[in-house]
Amino acid sequence: MVTPIGDGVVVRDVRRSFGPVKAVRGISLRAAPGEVTALVGPNGAGKTTLLLVLATLLTPDWGEVRVAGHDPVTEPDAVRARMGWSPDFFGMYDNLTAGEYLEFFGAAYRLPRPDARQRAAELLELARLGEYWDQPVHVLSRGQKQRLALTRALVHRPSVLLLDEPAAGLDPHSRVELRLLLRRLAADGAAVLVSSHILADLEEMADRVVFVDHGVTVGEHHMNDLPKTARRRWRIRALDRDALLAALSGAGRHPGSPSPSGASTAPGSGTPPGTPAASAAGGPSWVDVELESEQAAAGLLAELVRAGVPVTAFAPVGGALEAAYLELVDEDAAATQPAVQQWVLSQEAQ
Amino acid sequence: MTAFLTGVKTVAAQEFRLRIRAGRWRWLLAAWFVTLAAFTVLVRLALAASGEDDRPLGTPMYGSLMLLVLGMGLLVVPALTAQSVNGDRERGTLATLQITRLTPAQIAAGKLAAAWGTSLVFLALTLPLVAWTVAEGGVPAGRLVVTTLVMALMLGVVCAIAQALSALLLRSTTSAVLSYLVVFALTIGTLIVFGLATALTTETVTRTVRQPVPVEPVPVPGGGFTVEPPRPGEFEEYTYTTTQARTDQVWWLLAPNPFVVLADAAPALPRRRDPVTQRPLPSAFDPLGELSRSVRSLREPPSEPDSYRGLAPEPEPQPESQRRPVWPYGLAVNLLLGAGSLVITTRRLRTPARNLPRGMRVA
Repeated sequence: MVTPIGDGVVVRDVRRSFGPVKAVRGISLRAAPGEVTALVGPNGAGKTTLLLVLATLLTPDWGEVRVAGHDPVTEPDAVRARMGWSPDFFGMYDNLTAGEYLEFFGAAYRLPRPDARQRAAELLELARLGEYWDQPVHVLSRGQKQRLALTRALVHRPSVLLLDEPAAGLDPHSRVELRLLLRRLAADGAAVLVSSHILADLEEMADRVVFVDHGVTVGEHHMNDLPKTARRRWRIRALDRDALLAALSGAGRHPGSPSPSGASTAPGSGTPPGTPAASAAGGPSWVDVELESEQAAAGLLAELVRAGVPVTAFAPVGGALEAAYLELVDEDAAATQPAVQQWVLSQEAQ
Repeated sequence: MTAFLTGVKTVAAQEFRLRIRAGRWRWLLAAWFVTLAAFTVLVRLALAASGEDDRPLGTPMYGSLMLLVLGMGLLVVPALTAQSVNGDRERGTLATLQITRLTPAQIAAGKLAAAWGTSLVFLALTLPLVAWTVAEGGVPAGRLVVTTLVMALMLGVVCAIAQALSALLLRSTTSAVLSYLVVFALTIGTLIVFGLATALTTETVTRTVRQPVPVEPVPVPGGGFTVEPPRPGEFEEYTYTTTQARTDQVWWLLAPNPFVVLADAAPALPRRRDPVTQRPLPSAFDPLGELSRSVRSLREPPSEPDSYRGLAPEPEPQPESQRRPVWPYGLAVNLLLGAGSLVITTRRLRTPARNLPRGMRVA
């Protein structure tokens, strides 16, 4: 479906300011053909600005950019012929039908008319919107519009795909499909660069991840090489809450107080700090414990089992990506603590 | 070139389709037609009530209808175009268009073609009324063709200006208001500026009048008067100062006025003559012709001082056909404005953008 041409996206030390606001202060990254690259960072980290530069809409103040082997500033048309972009904020021509919408963009990408028509039909099927061919776009739900916007970016079979928050507004089913679609495009040779806040989704679809914060790249990893030592929060469920709490305190890990080993129980999701990080008394119960390593987790689990606690679940809260992200954020804690905490909280709420 | 036009057509067709589906055109077009039809009927009735002779009614009907169509067109067109670019920006559909392989010039020209096409729909709707006025007689084909063409061009120019403003300004309400101000400047503003400039050109001239010495009646003894015949070669002169406005220096300020362009471009009507005797017949009231005569006379320098009044016959007034036209200048100015506006729109659509105005979203 996508012919593997060009060499993906190469960004070296890109900077861009809007007046006094330094939106991007030095981002470098690479998104290789055949891979899905995740762009992760808090709001205002410069992700959208960077994507606008890649999408031939903004000139960078500084730095070097290649999209599918071409410079978006000096050869915008060559880039546009090979690049698809789906913005976070987009409008639709509400009075067009879904078919007309895609056909128009086919023409705008210089597809001959029959090809544009065929491609539009093909893409609508791909987005599970086939039955909306002659329905006006305004009858579509937000998630359906999001899918239509994504297929618009695919009209001309781009070899580089830039997606800004593509999963926003998608239901779980559509998110799974988005994931599969992006994997397939990558398998066909496209370079896919995705920014998203939904770390769990990215973790499952991305090959590589680029962390940006305050307009600079703060980390670039293969998903398999994410730091394993990350401190993570683990959630323990047991049939007997009192036995669990007793065993935890026996192991030196009191809910809400720092443990001798440096690990501490953390507040449960959504509970205000200071209250015990555990569910209400009686019934199946859980406790969140922050552990410094997977070794510590294995040790604690063995201890609980030895103490006869009826453990039903013992699993990390959030994925490796989230953990790695939080780790990065911790290193930078002094400067960014308030903003990052807020961001993490908003992520937890999702 | 064909590739360029293909892109323009793609954009124009899309814009036109969106326009047709978006608005309540039926009501707008109906209101437009009904207003003009009512006007034409009233003009016809008024003429029938006042006219006694056989002068054709088509001439005044057509002229007044065209002036009204232009006036109403100038009111409608800015509203059609004033959010052509910033409206798309506000709705978030511009950036997705800019990153396609359509060039900024294609987007600008396509959008302009759609806006202009829409205004031509309004113009086309007046055709039945135009046909009626033609049927009343006194509207030569040449005049019909030229006025329609000039009218279409003027509407296109206003479209282009409104579009450039929508590309320059962030808010569609601001650009709409400014478009109306531009229309105001072209119509009323040119009048005001011309009036004030004319006052500035006013100069004081001293004129000398030479005339035969007046003959004094001489009383005759025994009552009565006698009048001696004037002695040949005996003249007296006197001078006086007066002011005159040199409109021939500032007439061009009035030239860009759309009404002036339209009226002056309309070819003059041939003199009506009696088919049998070939004697000139009284001509019908011609609004376009009157306006044209007025502005052309402004171009003429003031006539020579009448120093020999009373002795020599008045100089023949310059034949009207030799008066120099005003409309080519006005039309040229307007076309330049339109072309410049298209260039501005194209430049503002160009990406990647280096400088963004305060508050503008790229996407």
